[in-house]
Amino acid sequence: MPHFDLAAVLTDEFRGWLISGFLLSLELTLIVWLLALPLATFTALCRLSSLAPARWVGFALVEGIRNIPLLVHLLFWYFAVPELLPESIRAWLYEHNAEFICAAGGLTLYTAAFMAEDIRSGIRAVPITQLEAARALGFGFLASMRRIVLPQAVRIIVPPLISQSLNLWKNTSVATVIGTAELMYQAQRVETASFRGVETFTLTTLAYLSVSLIITALAVWFQRRYPVRTA
Amino acid sequence: MIDIIDTYWLYFLVGQYPDGPLGGLVLTILLGFSALVLALPFGVLLGLARVSERRWLRWPVTALVYIVRGTPLLMVIFWAYFFLPSVTGHKTEQFSTMLTALVFFNGMYIAEIVRAGIQGIARGQMECARSLGLSYVQAMRYVILPQAARNMLPSLVNQFVTTLKETSLGYIIGLAEVSFIANQINIQLLTRPVAVFSTLALVYFVLCFGLSRLAYYLEVRHSRTAAGTARS
Amino acid sequence: MKAIAPVTLAAVLTGLLSMHAAVADQLADIRKKGELVCGVLGTDEPMSFIDARTRTLIGYEVDLCEAVAKKIGVSAKPRQLAVAARIPELQQGRVDILAATLTHTKEREAVVDFSLNTFVTGQRVMVRKDSGITKVAQLAGKKVVTVKGGTQEPNMRKAVPTVEVVTFETAPQAFVALQQRKAIGFVNDEVSLLDAFGKLGPAQKDYVVLTESISVEAIALGLRKNEPALKTLVNDALRELETSGQAEQLFFKWFGPSSRLKYQTRNFKIDSDRI
Repeated sequence: MPHFDLAAVLTDEFRGWLISGFLLSLELTLIVWLLALPLATFTALCRLSSLAPARWVGFALVEGIRNIPLLVHLLFWYFAVPELLPESIRAWLYEHNAEFICAAGGLTLYTAAFMAEDIRSGIRAVPITQLEAARALGFGFLASMRRIVLPQAVRIIVPPLISQSLNLWKNTSVATVIGTAELMYQAQRVETASFRGVETFTLTTLAYLSVSLIITALAVWFQRRYPVRTA
Repeated sequence: MIDIIDTYWLYFLVGQYPDGPLGGLVLTILLGFSALVLALPFGVLLGLARVSERRWLRWPVTALVYIVRGTPLLMVIFWAYFFLPSVTGHKTEQFSTMLTALVFFNGMYIAEIVRAGIQGIARGQMECARSLGLSYVQAMRYVILPQAARNMLPSLVNQFVTTLKETSLGYIIGLAEVSFIANQINIQLLTRPVAVFSTLALVYFVLCFGLSRLAYYLEVRHSRTAAGTARS
Repeated sequence: MKAIAPVTLAAVLTGLLSMHAAVADQLADIRKKGELVCGVLGTDEPMSFIDARTRTLIGYEVDLCEAVAKKIGVSAKPRQLAVAARIPELQQGRVDILAATLTHTKEREAVVDFSLNTFVTGQRVMVRKDSGITKVAQLAGKKVVTVKGGTQEPNMRKAVPTVEVVTFETAPQAFVALQQRKAIGFVNDEVSLLDAFGKLGPAQKDYVVLTESISVEAIALGLRKNEPALKTLVNDALRELETSGQAEQLFFKWFGPSSRLKYQTRNFKIDSDRI
């Protein structure tokens, strides 16, 4: 086997592929995060609601999504869901980078299901007395949540949420199976073209690690700066 | 959907076996179970290293855990697939590759579960045990770990669920686990993607939901018994 | 985070150092084992594929593998692998020989050896009739799909530099994407393409395989470098198949008028490894 030659994988062409993959992974992570968070909050509130049907819907959503592997979600979104859409929407989808959109859809649902559980745990960790006191003072359920409970819950929720963000970043790699041209997809391309697996994978691993370590550092900083206040 | 299950249930269940290697749902469960069983001792050792007083043990293991947990599982699988044979000198096929990758990856997560479990046991327990004349290893073995084990059980069952879902990535290296089989069926049938992938999703759901209910039950039972335990 | 660099470097170095294992005579090893492990795709009808009902691996290349194994005097063991993993698996010794629709190219000669050409074909593009595409050049700026890890993507980009290519883990998966209208064209080896076309049945009227080839592919068995004894034996086995007429029989069995591909004649012979 030839010696370790990083330059062979860093030619203009290969470097271009890897960088575009890295940027797409980042883009995917960001968009999914922004879509998943509101969805997760909504689901968490459903599960905590006093209305039984809302609780059931929340439960079904979370358990239904969490117990199915991400790979299956993505395959379903890319190969099955478009077939269910009306012709015109389907055509639009295929014109506009279906691989990215389907990956985003699958990842959003998957990430939201896990985030919802963390948000729910966080809200539940706030002593029930807070909610009771708020209700006694005349706040409605939503207002109590918004003004009293959620702000306290935020400190508890943020660390696991950052952990889910880390998972999201890593999960974007699975999108390669539906043809999304993110980092892992591009790494496979470079490996095929250059015959240099070690160098390609070393670079790719370092690329993933760079962002992972930033996210982890963020978590550590947050926990030092905003420790959870116990009553 | 019923007709698909009717025609292909055997292929879904065992892949090509016995005319070829074992595949399908049986392979998924076998792989997941083996991976967890092997990852446990590995994870326990790493977890112990993570709480160790000795810096030369704690720091490299901590670094390793951070590195592996910051890497996507798919990346670990590719490393194992392309380079394991060179390192071990043995030829390895998809199952062993996947098993190695899963054991290594999940070992890191179990290390964290073990660390949390051990650190959740009050310091007083260790101090008492040491003052009664037990060595560090004996204290761990007879006092700390048995108590920690009860803490860890729900998390470990959840880790098993995660491992089962992770086996689906074997699809990418051509392992004939249940997702790969479902895909082959879809390719043959072509016109029924919704039915095929819904069946696949249902299979995983039944398996994983069942196990996570078990974890929930264990957690509820543990918090009931723990409420009665004296806090030192 | 200073632990990262040493850990990664250590892992990589260990891997590289162990790669310089002793090179033994592979032919002797195969004889000792009693079996020849052939890497096949298993997803490329009729070269090598799994019949989902009988759940066994069959195909043109599976038959070639058996013929070579017989010549060596051992049993044949086909092993499925992914397109992108063909060469790595051969290099690392997980398979003894590749019968995986491997195109003989100059670039690949640096890493593997090739037997005599077992099949000569080209790569072509299948499109939907209603796309209005009749020439390959019209694919400029449009989207095509194909399989990861082969020569299809580079050849397509060479033919039409502005084309957009999306790749999937297996060729049949890419074909599903074409049928779902996710792309305008599907690129693959001529044989695989015509087979997929044949499988469409009544839907054939909606598709057409463009007549231009974007490349000429000489397909051969892949061998590890520096194994002269094995290479000579493999080529002898192939030559015998040709002179005895068995090679032609195999061709017509899998590609002839009674198959889905309906080739009427064979336009090559298994007698050279020139590309």
